[in-house]
Amino acid sequence: MDISLPPLRLSDFTLPSPMARARRVVARIAIAATLGIAGLGGLIVATVAANASEARSAQAFVKPADMTSGALLLKGAEPGKFVEAPQVRADYDVTVSGPTMRTRVTQAFTNPTDGWVEGVYVYPLPEKGAVDAMTLVIGDRVIVADVKKREEAKEIYEAAKRDGKTAALTEQERPNLFTNSVANIGPGETVLVRIEYQAPVHQDAERMSLRIPLVVAPRYVPKPLVTEVSMDAVGGWGVVDPAPDRGRITPPVNDPRETAPTNPVSITVRLNAGFRLGEVASSTHKIKVDGTDEAARTVTLDAADVPADRDFELAWTAASGPTPSVGLFRESVGGSDYVVAYVTPPTGAAKEEKRPRETIFVIDNSGSMSGPSMGQAKASLAFALDRLTPADRFDVIRFDDTMERLFLDTVAATPENVAKAKAFVARLSAEGGTEMLPPLKAALFDPRPNDAARVRQIVFLTDGAIGDEQRMFDAIASGRGRSRLFMVGIGSAPNSFLMTRAAELGRGTFTHIGSTEEVDARMRELFAKLESPVITSLTAAFSEGAADMTPRTLPDIYRGEPLVMAARMAKVSGALEIGGLIGDQPWTVKLDLAKAAPGDGISKLWARRKIDDAEVSRTLRETGPEAADAEILKLALEHKLTTRLTSLVAVDQTPRRPAGATLTRAEVPLNLPAGWDFDAVFGKRPGSEQGPTVPGMRRADAQSKLERVAAMGVAASPAPLATPSPSAGANLPQTATDAELKLCAGLALILLAVGLLIIRPARRRAA
Amino acid sequence: MSASRSLVLSPDAGGRIAQRVPLRAAFAAVFALAGLILAGQGAYVHAKAILAQILLERAFATSLATGAPTKAWAWADTWPVARIEVPRIGASEIALAGASGEALAFGPGHLDGTPEAGEPGVAIYAAHRDTHFAFLKEVRVGDEIRVLRRDGRAARFRVEETRVAAWNASGLDPHAAGRRLALVTCWPFDAVTRGPLRYVVEASAIEESGGASPR
Repeated sequence: MDISLPPLRLSDFTLPSPMARARRVVARIAIAATLGIAGLGGLIVATVAANASEARSAQAFVKPADMTSGALLLKGAEPGKFVEAPQVRADYDVTVSGPTMRTRVTQAFTNPTDGWVEGVYVYPLPEKGAVDAMTLVIGDRVIVADVKKREEAKEIYEAAKRDGKTAALTEQERPNLFTNSVANIGPGETVLVRIEYQAPVHQDAERMSLRIPLVVAPRYVPKPLVTEVSMDAVGGWGVVDPAPDRGRITPPVNDPRETAPTNPVSITVRLNAGFRLGEVASSTHKIKVDGTDEAARTVTLDAADVPADRDFELAWTAASGPTPSVGLFRESVGGSDYVVAYVTPPTGAAKEEKRPRETIFVIDNSGSMSGPSMGQAKASLAFALDRLTPADRFDVIRFDDTMERLFLDTVAATPENVAKAKAFVARLSAEGGTEMLPPLKAALFDPRPNDAARVRQIVFLTDGAIGDEQRMFDAIASGRGRSRLFMVGIGSAPNSFLMTRAAELGRGTFTHIGSTEEVDARMRELFAKLESPVITSLTAAFSEGAADMTPRTLPDIYRGEPLVMAARMAKVSGALEIGGLIGDQPWTVKLDLAKAAPGDGISKLWARRKIDDAEVSRTLRETGPEAADAEILKLALEHKLTTRLTSLVAVDQTPRRPAGATLTRAEVPLNLPAGWDFDAVFGKRPGSEQGPTVPGMRRADAQSKLERVAAMGVAASPAPLATPSPSAGANLPQTATDAELKLCAGLALILLAVGLLIIRPARRRAA
Repeated sequence: MSASRSLVLSPDAGGRIAQRVPLRAAFAAVFALAGLILAGQGAYVHAKAILAQILLERAFATSLATGAPTKAWAWADTWPVARIEVPRIGASEIALAGASGEALAFGPGHLDGTPEAGEPGVAIYAAHRDTHFAFLKEVRVGDEIRVLRRDGRAARFRVEETRVAAWNASGLDPHAAGRRLALVTCWPFDAVTRGPLRYVVEASAIEESGGASPR
């Protein structure tokens, strides 16, 4: 896996603000890239290897100009001739079990060549998806993948490939990007690939939603094709040269804006929301909703098949109620029972429930915050100060390498005090280093630990350059008391993972603000959340038997956020009691575990969450990296999850490819998700007034362009394309200085000066 | 350097050419000043690199003693994470967290996203070819590299390969199997301009009882 490095400044001089600016730029690129991966939602990069020399089937050849719908093309034996890459149809079967969705994607691909083919698919998954099953059907062979250690799986696959056996391998490229490789697909065969993944349902305020990346087909087939695509025989990524024979390759190839894509997709969503359903709707497709059960529906596409030209989104809301809606799901796997419970706070009641708050704002005014970040942080803080009521108490701490506390203790938010704080904030300027621990400790110090009348909150605004994370964690873990810590990463958050953990330890939230443009909107959302702490002091207890519960620390439930907790127990029985405070009203709910609804993938959700816990304890250094990895490996193997350390591999034991026939790979490019502005992403080809050509065929070009797009903050992702090849490795920073150059030039100039002063008068005198 | 001073330096100049001396002197002064500034900047890079290492050495010692990250100076954006030593040639440098331009001015940088030396994967450290990693050109296959980490653990590596690679095609996968170390710097060593090539020294851990061992 590649990592990308911040580009280095040309100057080595150490003014803090250019450094900070550079870091923010880097962070913006990184964030754009992250957004892009999510936004990429449907990009499937299919790389199919065809032995070009064997692909002689005349009928399979097409010219790009012959294509009336999007398709992948493989290079044929003759220049300018292509074979259509495997692409048939896709079926999505989604089962929503409360907070999780299990998606079964069946794609039928045809190898239209008469050569042996290796296919490689790279596909993104929604958010925290975990691929746990892959089945391959080639002809009449059904191959179910097995989970193995990553290296072991790779070896098995490579061995099978060499032996002419059909094999398949699923690997995790990044937590949200996976690769499928399929070796030895026979000539003319149709291959079914079924991937199954588990992912949490997205929840935003009262709205639950799921998104399916729907990219089987190219979304962009360029308009006039005026250049010839020449595929590299080895690497497979072609370059587009200005066509020497423009007349032979005839335009046009269709633009999706003009001709509807024809790749059919069918979708079925079995919605078992776990609560009384309000509205069920899709903003992207026309849907048909069946079922009268108050918590379950079956959703299908209104038309039987729809073109795969955009992602599918389905959203549903709960019918509003006065009490928290609690969902309970169970699954029995391998002799253990798994339970997931989730608590949705009641809507509506929260507004009146406003408990007075004691809020400490900590604002980072170190040099790295200079520029727009500081302005936005100040504006956000001013906004927050405005929302305080006289019943609230507050204080403001600013820090760089020094810190300053406005009031020595929190004070009532009287108009005078608020005005004083606003003036204090307005005066802040960004300079100095970043010493985050003293202000954190000061904010955590609670002189009134037993004051139940107020909710104590710490809002920590920073650009996220946390250096001494361990001390931060220690301070939070030992000092959090009743305080809740809300981390707000502004501008740059290179340490977003650690910020997340800090917020988790502090039972608050982490608001990540990627670009300065977002600051205002995100801060408003955050403060809306802060003002309505719906359920606090959560506890969960099982009446019978020991349960392996995750997460270990239950967070507060804020407006729009569900509590999702999972547990493994020997036998589901007894009751689960969840208690907490709604405002200052104690609230408990007792769930009869016997009544838990059966749900798919509960064990996977538990395992996935446990893996997160293992990563946390690794971060907290409660366990060493090896122990954490061992734990992750154990969970992954047990629950068949594809992770950083494990892959899925399937091998058909019968050798099929004759010993003489060769198998080569040629990567076939992929296409942009719908909604991406083709021109914006790839731009016009220089020297070609007719615009761009087959997009994915130009990998290197696309890459640089994508990076530029990402740098501009557009939600485009360099992720899948910017990986030149698995072997390219980590980027290395610039490690040359111009010191020698400057020394030489400087000395030369001094010599020249001396020469001017001495040599010329000397010559004159001689004359 | 002033015009009058240059007149003093040229006592033989007659009255006729006295008019022209200040002009020449002015040019000389401008060149000399520019030269001093440039040379000063060049020297500053080296001075900073050397001075910083002294401060970093102290901070690292504190870090080892307390177990907590310690900044060498209050406004630093980074902190020492390891000491890299090549005993055969007597090289020793304190490496900093992150390989930003900022960090690299003061010492070798430990690339973000790569494991700590001695942990599974490839730990990558980068530094300037003309300062902290100038010694890399003397490192040979078979040399031992010692890395003492901030947490007091030490790891020993044996150089297996030195090679030149493009900055964006290093072939270094931080998550590769094994416990490996890569020291990288710009290449060629004696060039005065920046370039895309990097010199990579790759080493793998000398297996003791389970990799990194307490000091």
